[in-house]
Amino acid sequence: MAEPAYLVASDSETTAEEKSSSPFPDIAIGIDIGTSQCSVAVWGGSQVELLRNTRNQKLMRSYVTFKDEIPAGGVSNQLAHEYEMLSGAAIFNMKRLIGRVDTDPVVHASKSLPFLVQTLNIGVRPFIAALVKNMWRSTTPEEVLAIFLVELRAMAELQLKRPVRNVVLTIPVSFSRFQITRIERACAMAGLQVLRLMPEPTAVALLYAQQQQQNVHENMGSGSEKIALIFNMGAGFCDVAVSATAGGVSQIKALAGTALGGEDILLNMMRHLLPDMDSHFSTRGIDEIRRMGLLRVATQDAIHKLSAQSNVQIDVDLGNGRKISKALGREEFEDVNREIFEKCESLIKQCLHDAKVEVEDVSDVILVGGCSNIPKLRNIITGVCKREIYNGINPLEAAVRGAALEGAVASGVNDPFGSLDLLTIQATPLSIGVRADGNSFVPIIHQNTTMPVRRDVIFTTVHDNQAEALIIVYEGDEKAVEKNHLLGYFKITGIPPAPKGVPEINVCMDIDASNVLRVFAGVVMPGVQNPAAPVMEVRMPTVDDGHGWCAEALNRTYGSTLDLVTVQKKGAH
Amino acid sequence: MLSSFSFHQQFFRPNPFQTHPPFNLNKPIWWRRQNSVLVVRCGRDKVEESKNYYELLGVCVDASAQEIKDAYRKLQKKYHPDIAGEKGHESALMLNKAYKVLMKDDLRKQYDASIGRISDNLRVGSIWEGPLRPQALFVDENACIGCRECVHHAGNTFMMDEVFGTARVKVQYGDDEERIEISVDSCPVNCIHWVDREELEVLEYLIQPQPKEGYGIYGQGWDRPANVFMAAKSFNKQVKQQEENQQRYTKSTDEEETPAQAQARESAYRELKVGRFARIWSWMKRSTSQ
Repeated sequence: MAEPAYLVASDSETTAEEKSSSPFPDIAIGIDIGTSQCSVAVWGGSQVELLRNTRNQKLMRSYVTFKDEIPAGGVSNQLAHEYEMLSGAAIFNMKRLIGRVDTDPVVHASKSLPFLVQTLNIGVRPFIAALVKNMWRSTTPEEVLAIFLVELRAMAELQLKRPVRNVVLTIPVSFSRFQITRIERACAMAGLQVLRLMPEPTAVALLYAQQQQQNVHENMGSGSEKIALIFNMGAGFCDVAVSATAGGVSQIKALAGTALGGEDILLNMMRHLLPDMDSHFSTRGIDEIRRMGLLRVATQDAIHKLSAQSNVQIDVDLGNGRKISKALGREEFEDVNREIFEKCESLIKQCLHDAKVEVEDVSDVILVGGCSNIPKLRNIITGVCKREIYNGINPLEAAVRGAALEGAVASGVNDPFGSLDLLTIQATPLSIGVRADGNSFVPIIHQNTTMPVRRDVIFTTVHDNQAEALIIVYEGDEKAVEKNHLLGYFKITGIPPAPKGVPEINVCMDIDASNVLRVFAGVVMPGVQNPAAPVMEVRMPTVDDGHGWCAEALNRTYGSTLDLVTVQKKGAH
Repeated sequence: MLSSFSFHQQFFRPNPFQTHPPFNLNKPIWWRRQNSVLVVRCGRDKVEESKNYYELLGVCVDASAQEIKDAYRKLQKKYHPDIAGEKGHESALMLNKAYKVLMKDDLRKQYDASIGRISDNLRVGSIWEGPLRPQALFVDENACIGCRECVHHAGNTFMMDEVFGTARVKVQYGDDEERIEISVDSCPVNCIHWVDREELEVLEYLIQPQPKEGYGIYGQGWDRPANVFMAAKSFNKQVKQQEENQQRYTKSTDEEETPAQAQARESAYRELKVGRFARIWSWMKRSTSQ
């Protein structure tokens, strides 16, 4: 109770031990931190309830404004005007920026936001600042997110009349483990413990599983397996999942995702309306920021209107003699964003393919997220899946409701009516492996593997009497190792002198249900039972900022002297 | 079968290396993890051979994909770490592994072949000491109360199955006839029977507990016929019927089919019509050819 509102945890960044020390002290709440909107829900005893802020909002804008001494977030703050958020004093879209380096295209796309996003293009974190009293005041996405989470926590505590510590967060499918650590960091700064992280569509899948379970109870029907395809597109990310559901168990068969969303559609349209937008905005004076805000609001408005009508008239006076007056049709809008829609379509197809599911076998197609009203998107999905869209789910509340259900299940809550007789069996969104066989990425745990999982692969040395070997762990699905996310690296030492190819270096990876990745590595000489040196255990990721540099530095320092190659497995499955 | 059964029990009460009682949770985490990785690395052969994925999931060896799926989900609902807490990790790992293998046709075939080899090495029934005789000893384990009298009197012939707590014939005529006579007479429930040698094999097979159909290892798991002699009778009848059916088929189809076609048809017929019975059938064929 006496805890300070703004609690900054120790720098160890390790939360696993903390997690296990107090298994289920209270019901974890579900939080959906969207790129543009945010919501909180909790299991209320018989069903999930969405919490409301003092202004009776269930969905709150995700931003923090620095205009006063004390920063204020979208939970408590009341915007006097939409443009206030676009004045440069407010930071938003933190979810798009968190854990990304300044060479990332998503960061570059964010440079047209009203606040300052500065890049040096060398693979370090971007410089982010808010305009406070005509001065750029620096901050970080983690800090902004933490301030926002503190407000959410205070709101939840006020309503639930109890301290809130454990949370289930929804995250985009495409988030790397490094980005996940940044999210966890922000939570730790806000005094919250992450019980589970759920890829957004898997949270929706759990809600769907509960609905199916209830239908079975009510109709006394057969609890046959249902395959659901879930497509989620919000402001910042686009995710797809295929799940198989039966008896309240939601088994994730495949996941696919990318950092594309409404924000990209908006940017495309702004560029379409004002082709020289970037040069127009380069100096970032107060007037320019204001003009950009005008354009942004007008464009956003037009896009929303185009969901319901086929034509819209845009009239913006940007000042300085610049005026945009244009009639925009839905076809033109769809044409400008063709690439984004094509990418969405290919993601759906890829996910169905990875799940080894035929379109005919899909029972329900669920469309959620802020972009779910775009007619083109609905057409694409009904076209690919040859099926009408499932209408039993609120597209803006589905993810947070699913997260709250998971929070209750993982907190050990039982419901006498079986409403919590649920389980999500997650799958890995990205492959995890090591650098070996030259500069190749050798996956150890493949994409879409059921969690928890433990797999091992045996490697061996490439040089005679090689005494040490580097284990460099990456996450991703690109063949060329440097195109994947670097998670960490460590060295195995004490390999007994032997010709190359003789020592067996066993690299084992273990992901538990709370998505913690541990990498074990040990050396065994043929014919010997025990490892030649103590086995190493490393919790990943270990990299901090500037991970682009680390791999290069390792290459420069060691070259191929500490390399590994895979041993062809004999008769193993 | 027996060695894998003891694995079952391990799964019930996970071994101390994998799950610590709560008071041990304060032990440094690396210690526990390191042990588990050593199990992975060094204990691989032992672990892999002692576990049977079918028993883990509590399904029959010829279970359909749907049955495996249902059983897997039921078990996950009990053992998944979301529900069972951190201690569910190892169980969920094993379930995932079993599920992955059994759900993929090629992996399942490979796996079936690998466990088939193991069960071949396992002696199913009693062995014979000396020449074959027309009569053989058989313990009806359903009736046996585990008094150990027979083992006491004729220890070379009878043995106790410590898992089931019942006596069983280890070696036919392992002791002299007098001792055997005493032990048969000393049985308080008269569960030691003299049977025809031809019947012995079927009886010994049928008395073995078989995994019962159902979900997991809770509440059911193992089953054997209540009256093993009746079961043997109907089993023999079925086998005879099978043979007749087969003969009828081969007779009527010989003219227009090549031998390969006939064989394919025959095996397809078996698959389709006989279903669950095929397992016993193939065992019979194997044991008679030996």
